[in-house]
Amino acid sequence: MMLRSLSIREELLNNLRAAYARMWVRLRGANRDPISLVAEIGLPILAIGAYVVLYRAIGFPSTAGAAVIIGGAMVAFWTNVLWNMSSQWFWEREQGNLEMYLVAPVSRMSILLGMALGGSLNTAIRALGIVLLGIFVFQVPFQLNSPLLVGVVFLLTLIALYALGMLFASLFMLYGREAWNTANLLQEPVYFLSGAYFPGFYGLVPFAIQAAGSLIPMTFGLDAIRRLAIGGGDITSVWLHIIALVACTLILFPIARRALNYMESLGKKEGRLTLRWQ
Amino acid sequence: MAVADFVKSARESFRVGWKIESNWTDPVLFATYQVIRPLASLLIVAFIVIIGASVGAAANSAFYSRYLAWLIVGNAFYAFVLQIMLGMAILVHVDRTRYEVLKNIYISPGTLHPYVIGRGLVSVVNGAVSVILTLLFSVAIFNGLLHMNIPLNLLGVNLLMLFPAVILGIISLLAIGYMLCAVNIVSNRMEFILGDSVSGIFFLLGGVIFPIALLPSYVQPISNVLPITFLLNTVRESFGLLPTGDYITDLAYLALTTLIAVIVGIAVFRLAEQRAKKLGLFDRKSEY
Repeated sequence: MMLRSLSIREELLNNLRAAYARMWVRLRGANRDPISLVAEIGLPILAIGAYVVLYRAIGFPSTAGAAVIIGGAMVAFWTNVLWNMSSQWFWEREQGNLEMYLVAPVSRMSILLGMALGGSLNTAIRALGIVLLGIFVFQVPFQLNSPLLVGVVFLLTLIALYALGMLFASLFMLYGREAWNTANLLQEPVYFLSGAYFPGFYGLVPFAIQAAGSLIPMTFGLDAIRRLAIGGGDITSVWLHIIALVACTLILFPIARRALNYMESLGKKEGRLTLRWQ
Repeated sequence: MAVADFVKSARESFRVGWKIESNWTDPVLFATYQVIRPLASLLIVAFIVIIGASVGAAANSAFYSRYLAWLIVGNAFYAFVLQIMLGMAILVHVDRTRYEVLKNIYISPGTLHPYVIGRGLVSVVNGAVSVILTLLFSVAIFNGLLHMNIPLNLLGVNLLMLFPAVILGIISLLAIGYMLCAVNIVSNRMEFILGDSVSGIFFLLGGVIFPIALLPSYVQPISNVLPITFLLNTVRESFGLLPTGDYITDLAYLALTTLIAVIVGIAVFRLAEQRAKKLGLFDRKSEY
C-alpha cells in the first residue's frame, strides 16, 4: 500500500508540530531542576564579578562593568548554542535517539528549529537573571533610550546565532569525542574574539582581532546592544550591525540546510549515524 | 604490597584516561587544543590590562607591565584548576552513564580510589601541558610580537621554590576533585555544574586575575582558606613577581590547606561510597 503524499500545508503543519514537540522537551527538560536554573544564573556572575573587580582595579569607568554584564548574558547564549545545538546530534546519537529523528517523517531542520526555539527561550530566562543579578550586585549604570530597538537587535542576534548553531550541529553530526573537545575549544576563544568581556567600544582592539570576531554573529549583536544600552545610541549607531546580522542569517540558514543533508548522507554511506562510544 | 597494588591500579587507570582524552586526534592537534583555551582566557584579561594602559586608566606603564606578568603567571597556573576540576567533576558521570563501566570498576579488586587518582593525574598532565605552553606563548606574544618588555623571565624561575608549591597545589586540587567525584556518585544532576562552579569560585576568590585585597573585606576570609590562593602566591614568589620573604609562610598555609582538603576529600568520598553501595547507585542510569 502506498502512503498518500502530503499537501504542502500538511507537511508544514507536521514540521511545525515536530519543532514544537522538540521545543517542549527542551523547555521541560531544562527547567525541571531548580538547582540547575540557579546555577546557570549564578555561575556566570562569578566570571562577571572577577572582570568587574579587575576593571575597577585598573580604574575603568563603571560603564565597563555594564558592558561585561551584557557580555556575560550573551555568553550564556553562545554556551547554549555550543552545548545544546552544535553538539546535540552527538548527544542524541550517544543516547540512541538520533535514529528515531532520522526515520521520523519530518525535516531534520524542524528538529533543529525546535531545539533552537527551546534553547533560546531557556537561555533568555537565564540571561535576564544574569543581567538583573549583575545590576543588583555590581550597581552598574545603563542608559537605555530605545528599548524596542534593543529588542529587535537582540532578536536578530539570536536568530543569526542559532543559525550558526544549526550549521555547527550539521558539521558535528558525525563527531565522536571530537564533539566534546571542539565545543570546549570554541568557548574562551570566542569570548575573546567577540569581546564578550572587554568593551570593544573603546576602539582599541586590534583590527585583526575585530576581523576574526566579525565571523561570529554574537560580535555584532553584542556591540550593537552595548551601544544602545550603555552608550544611549539610536538606529544611526547600529544600522550597520543590523545589516550584518540579517546577512549572517541569510547566509547561514541555507548553508546549514545543505550541510545537514550532506553530513546525513555521508553518515549513511559510512554507517556512522548509529555509532556510539567513539 | 597494598601500596604496590594501589600504584599499579592508578597507573592502569592513568593509561586508560590518557587514551580516552588524547587518542581521538593526533598529538599536534591535541596540544593545540590544550593551549588555545587557556591562551584565549589569558588574552581576554591581558587585553583588558592593555586597553587600561592605552587609555591611561590608573597608573604608569611600569605598573601595567608588572601587573601583566603577575596576571600571566596566575592565569597560566589556573589551568591546573580548570583541568582537574572539570575532568574530575565529569568522571563519574561519563563512566557510569556514557560508558556504563563504573559498576565493573567498583567490583574489580582495588576499589575506586586508585582509579580516581589515576584519572585525576591525566588532568594534571593536561594541566601541566597547558601551563607550559601558555607561559611560552605569552612570552612569545607579549615580549616577542608586541615588544611589551614584560618582566617575565622563564629561565630565571626558582625551581626549588616552584616545585614544592606546585606539588602541594596539585595534591590539594586532586583532593577537591575527589570531593566532586564523591558528590557525583550520590547525585546525577550536578555533573555539568560542579566543575564550573568550583573553578568559577576559585577564579573569583583565588587571586587569579587581581589581588585578593581588592575583594570586599567580608569575602577575603574565604579567599584566605583556599589552597589556590597560596598556590598562586608561592608560584608568583618563585617567579620573582612577589616578595620572596613571604614564601615559607605561604607554603606552610598551602601545606595546611592541602592537608585539610585531603582529609575532608577522603572522608567525603568514603561516605559517598557507602551511601552509593547502600542505595545501589553505582549502575544508576540517568540519561534517557
